[in-house]
Amino acid sequence: MALAIARPLGRLLASPGQAALAGVIALFLLLFLVVPVTTVIYVAFTEKGTGVFTLINFVDFFRTDLFVNAFWNSIYVSTATVLVASIFALPLAYITTRFSFRGAVLIQTLGFLPLIMPPFAGAVAMQLLFGRNGSVNLLLDDWFGFKIGLMEGLNGVVFVQAVHYFPFILVNLSAALRNIDRSMEEAAQNLGCSGFRLFRRVVFPLALPGYVAGASLVFVKVFDDLATPLLLNVKDMLAPQAYLRVTSIGIADPMGYVIAVVLIVVSVLAMWASTLTLSSKDYATVQRGGGGLAKRTLRPWESAVAYCVVGLILALVLAPHLGLLLLSFATVWSFSPLPDAYTFAHYARVFGDSSVYIKNTLVYASLAALIDVLIGGAIAYLILRTKLIGRQGLDWAASAALAVPGVVLGIGYLRTFYDVPMPDGRPLATFWMMIVLALAIRRLPYALRACHAALEQISVSLEEAAENLGATKMRTVRRVVVPLMTGGILAGFISSFATAAVELSATLMLVQSNSDAPLAYGLYVLMQSPAGRGPGAALGVIAVILVAICTFLSHVVIERSQRAKGALH
Amino acid sequence: MKSYSKIAYLAALMCVSLPASEALSQAPTGKVTVVTSFSKDVTDPFKKAFEKAYPGTTLEVQNRNTNAGVKFVEETKSNNQVDLFWASAPDAFEVLKGKGLLQKITITATGIPEKVGSFPINDPQGFYYGFAASGYGIMWNDRYVKANKLPEPKEWSDLAKAPYFDHVSISAPSRSGTTHLTIETILQGEGWDKGWRTVKELGGNFRTVTDRSFGVPEAVNSGQVGYGIVIDFFAFSGQASGFPVKFVYPTVTTLVPANVAVITNAPNKTAAAAFVNYLLSPAGQEVLLEPGISRLPVNPAVYAKAPPSLPNPFTDKSLGAQVKFDVNISEKRTNPVDTLFDQLITFQLDGLKAATKAVHDAEAALAKKDNAQARGLIKEARDLIAAMPITAAEAESPEITGAFTGAKEKGARQAELEQKWAAFAKERYAQAKTKAEEALKLAR
Amino acid sequence: MSQTVISPSLRATAAGVRVENVNLAYGSNPVLKNVSVEIEPGEFFAFLGPSGSGKTTLLRLIAGFNKADSGTVFVGGKDITDLPPWKRDVGMVFQSYALWPHMTVQRNVAFGLEERKVPRAEIKARVAKALDLVGLGHLADRRPSQLSGGQQQRVAVARTVVVQPKVLLLDEPLSNLDAKMRVQVRRELRDLQQRLGLTTIFVTHDQEEANTICDRIAVMSDGVIQQVGSPMELYEHPANLFVANFLGSANILDGSVLTEGAARAFQLTGGIRFPIPASASVPTDAKLVFRPQDASIGSTAGGGGNALSGVVMHREFLGSVVRYAVRIGDSDIIVDAPFRSGDALYEPGASITVRISLESALWLSS
Repeated sequence: MALAIARPLGRLLASPGQAALAGVIALFLLLFLVVPVTTVIYVAFTEKGTGVFTLINFVDFFRTDLFVNAFWNSIYVSTATVLVASIFALPLAYITTRFSFRGAVLIQTLGFLPLIMPPFAGAVAMQLLFGRNGSVNLLLDDWFGFKIGLMEGLNGVVFVQAVHYFPFILVNLSAALRNIDRSMEEAAQNLGCSGFRLFRRVVFPLALPGYVAGASLVFVKVFDDLATPLLLNVKDMLAPQAYLRVTSIGIADPMGYVIAVVLIVVSVLAMWASTLTLSSKDYATVQRGGGGLAKRTLRPWESAVAYCVVGLILALVLAPHLGLLLLSFATVWSFSPLPDAYTFAHYARVFGDSSVYIKNTLVYASLAALIDVLIGGAIAYLILRTKLIGRQGLDWAASAALAVPGVVLGIGYLRTFYDVPMPDGRPLATFWMMIVLALAIRRLPYALRACHAALEQISVSLEEAAENLGATKMRTVRRVVVPLMTGGILAGFISSFATAAVELSATLMLVQSNSDAPLAYGLYVLMQSPAGRGPGAALGVIAVILVAICTFLSHVVIERSQRAKGALH
Repeated sequence: MKSYSKIAYLAALMCVSLPASEALSQAPTGKVTVVTSFSKDVTDPFKKAFEKAYPGTTLEVQNRNTNAGVKFVEETKSNNQVDLFWASAPDAFEVLKGKGLLQKITITATGIPEKVGSFPINDPQGFYYGFAASGYGIMWNDRYVKANKLPEPKEWSDLAKAPYFDHVSISAPSRSGTTHLTIETILQGEGWDKGWRTVKELGGNFRTVTDRSFGVPEAVNSGQVGYGIVIDFFAFSGQASGFPVKFVYPTVTTLVPANVAVITNAPNKTAAAAFVNYLLSPAGQEVLLEPGISRLPVNPAVYAKAPPSLPNPFTDKSLGAQVKFDVNISEKRTNPVDTLFDQLITFQLDGLKAATKAVHDAEAALAKKDNAQARGLIKEARDLIAAMPITAAEAESPEITGAFTGAKEKGARQAELEQKWAAFAKERYAQAKTKAEEALKLAR
Repeated sequence: MSQTVISPSLRATAAGVRVENVNLAYGSNPVLKNVSVEIEPGEFFAFLGPSGSGKTTLLRLIAGFNKADSGTVFVGGKDITDLPPWKRDVGMVFQSYALWPHMTVQRNVAFGLEERKVPRAEIKARVAKALDLVGLGHLADRRPSQLSGGQQQRVAVARTVVVQPKVLLLDEPLSNLDAKMRVQVRRELRDLQQRLGLTTIFVTHDQEEANTICDRIAVMSDGVIQQVGSPMELYEHPANLFVANFLGSANILDGSVLTEGAARAFQLTGGIRFPIPASASVPTDAKLVFRPQDASIGSTAGGGGNALSGVVMHREFLGSVVRYAVRIGDSDIIVDAPFRSGDALYEPGASITVRISLESALWLSS
């Protein structure tokens, strides 16, 4: 005991409690991620026919031009998307967190919306606006006689992905920016630094943990995303290749699973590289009792410029949602800049059906997000605050979840849990909680990244102070660490919640009855016929509004807690 | 929950009210779980009608795309909870049948002929049953076509012509059982080499090859693509929803049935059988005529009540009758054909289109100023585009088909074949482009 | 700190600071009320006051981080009121040091020079000199988190002085250091200021810090500068009760001023009356203020005049001085009696007489 007290907090191997926590998390990941996925992808390592272990399939992978091409295309698209997404996210995050700016909360909420793009309906709306014969191009062609390939080829994928995923950077970067002590900026101003240089040299580097957390998420997510490339009919990328192969029946082909393994490996490597870039530096900038956060005021012309920039970015990234809204009111919208006529009929049609979907979605997504912040926060704590052997393994396993195609996870759950009966005799896989767990596993990396970044910015001395004053580790976490991490935890919760609310691929495999189905499933069912297009869009709008309200409330909570902290000074 | 007397009453009621009811030793009641690829527009009217005809039953619809549905049934067979499989593509049913996941039931419905067009309506062994017919054809967006001053097509070969370049869309046969049947129809109708030539000439004009069947009508409905190669009801239901789309059946087409089957170990076999028989009964067949569904009934008598716009394949013999469709050949080479399409067209679309464009350009130039040497080059280019890495016989050989089924014997792996075929096509498309460009220079 | 010879490159041209009629309020809460103060070039000046007195606000106002509602700030005769912080050439060392954790010591110090587009070679030389100046040349490649508090403080100073600001502002620079370091660092700061000849403003709530190193002090309370003067002036001639009490220990006795023709007297609340020396200026609501060493203590015998009877409550032996806490009537005062070896001490409870040296006594109002 005496020895333990004498040592600094960070040097401890781990207390029995921490080890037990690690054990529980490891078991959870093993049961609901590793085992189900392994039951599916082991095929990648077996020889055709005999089932003997082999690596020949991986040799085939690198011998096939299509796959090698797809690999580099995926790398290119992911990297370019991170760059473009940063251009969207940086001004929004900086302006809304470091300046007193009217409507900051609203902007943060709106800036988050693109992440909540309902499947199928969103894609149709996007095509109608930006597609080859979308509103933009029809008007351009009419007025100037040319078209822009906004949704063509790899660069089209980059554009759509950047619009879709930039909120990851926005959310994480904003949380990090809020944690930067005012005196850090003032010291630089005092030495003659201002404007963009101030941002580039001091503010941005200090917010780097948040930025890297967001950027690595974007990279991995884009690398593993199949919906957008397929929507744009780009097939020479890795994730679509894996999906097309895994879901084509009658083909006992290991290559789909080989690609899944490659996706997982690259994703874990990317996550690992992102932690590596940060590990050599110290980012604990939270020095409460220093300046705290003070928002600067903008001069009139500066604020005019800021509003223009914010307005432009928001208009661009929210255009798909505008399209969705139009679509939900449109009678027929075909080869024209705007719909032919408008109607409320689509809302009337989905109104009756959707209440059960809405309820299920809220329950599933919030439960999944709750599980995510609990486990994500715990893993972040184990990684950053203990020397527990194998703690990085938890991180990698959780991050790998990002790369597991939803279909693979869904099939894995069926294989693993369908034979396990519940007390009433029905298979465990049909229990709705399985959908929650699948969603939680799929969204865990989001919460983990956010919690990791938040904890990284908190100085260990704050915890040492609490322990010194007689708080146990547990109470220190509860009374000091968690309150200081609130912003990061909420950011993680929102990311997990909002994206889980519109997740489809894993749930589609696991939904057993209409009464257990979430919104995304209802949307999928509607979007399979021409008559379902309008109602599908209406349901999509309902989903977006629902998630937006939850997001807005969370932002209000973050702002409040921030104000409370600012008042300390 | 319910008293016995009530059930008995309901059973008695059904005996009276159902004209073609079977001997009701057990009245169908309770939940019937159906896995289907059909949209809500199709399933909802049937659910309503069936539950009304058989009070006490509920139709629990699980909507999955065909492939996911097959996978689901396969993965959960050890503890099966599904009663029915209900989808378009006959090959999905073949897969289920092959794995022993379907069971036979007694069919009581009458008046359904053996064939629609040249395709047998029911599985010869009686494991699955056709309840509606659909034919492939060409769908186009009228506004798009008028705005771009494009022609209206009649035959498949029209779509291979120069004006259609970059305006046509199709779903990949590996992703859509019905597209597969269309490709197979062309291959059987025109022969392996000539058939592939036609398919590749079409392919050279493709704008996109989608991974969902519905992706094609969706793109045509919203005007993102001009023409789509689709199954008829996509166009009919699009028209019913008010979209400015038109549709035509080419002469070489086949009518294929949409099917329903009962799963092995179905928890509620009685009600499942009742549903199948209801689908095939006149009452069930009439539901197909609803505008949101618009599929061709398999009971010829029902056409009396159909709107005049709906074609009747039993009277209009031009529909799908020209092709003699051999199910055995189709089944044997399913995987090679799908993979060839993907490797030669889907994943090589850029190369194929570049070569096709060069050929179109050269031919346009030749039309103004003839040049025999250029003609020769164009023919060479077209032959290069049409060249196939394997013959029809090879496509059916166990060496090739074994690579796709994970057969026990050692042989080529699928990935090896794919790489070989893709490289074959890539090289030839590049050569074809060069030749066509040379031809263009000569013609100028 | 090593006694490096200051090269001309680090020596700044000292500039004075003048603050005129500055008002500043946070909402409806006034923080600075019509503040005016002038700091001479090369002076080491302190803003001294309890927390909430407005001293840090005034300092940040000079640095440009706070904006005055009205009033003007001059540095070197130039009006800088509307300049942004980065154009003021006013160096500030923050209470938290505000060292950037993502940069090494060297990069931290080089920062301001880089912003000024100083040639690379010159930056290198000047950073090295500045670090030598604070004795940290050997730690140039460390990160701030690897330094002790005292070292961080020196880096913060080096980072500020390396750009040769016209004025150096220090915001409670010693508050994060332990007592021993504090004494050492304040000497170093004074030494550095002398060698650089830099006009320096120092914010503190600790009178001892201010007294030991500053040329002049502005005592602040409630957003108002109560008095400006050298430490000795403030101690000897405090302008009011607040200043007297805040600088050093002072005994304050309540009472009222009586005028009897030309003679004036001060009557304590207890009834005892003192004559007021004719030279003293006494406000009508004054109180009697005297330092502990300006009274003597004796045995009970002989009251009257300026002698007060009281009881020893407790005593502290401080070596050269014995400090007695004495109760007189209902007031408590402190008396310091010089101690020579062999003197007898009064025990707590003993009845004694206190004699106030009226020549050094003050009559002050609040």
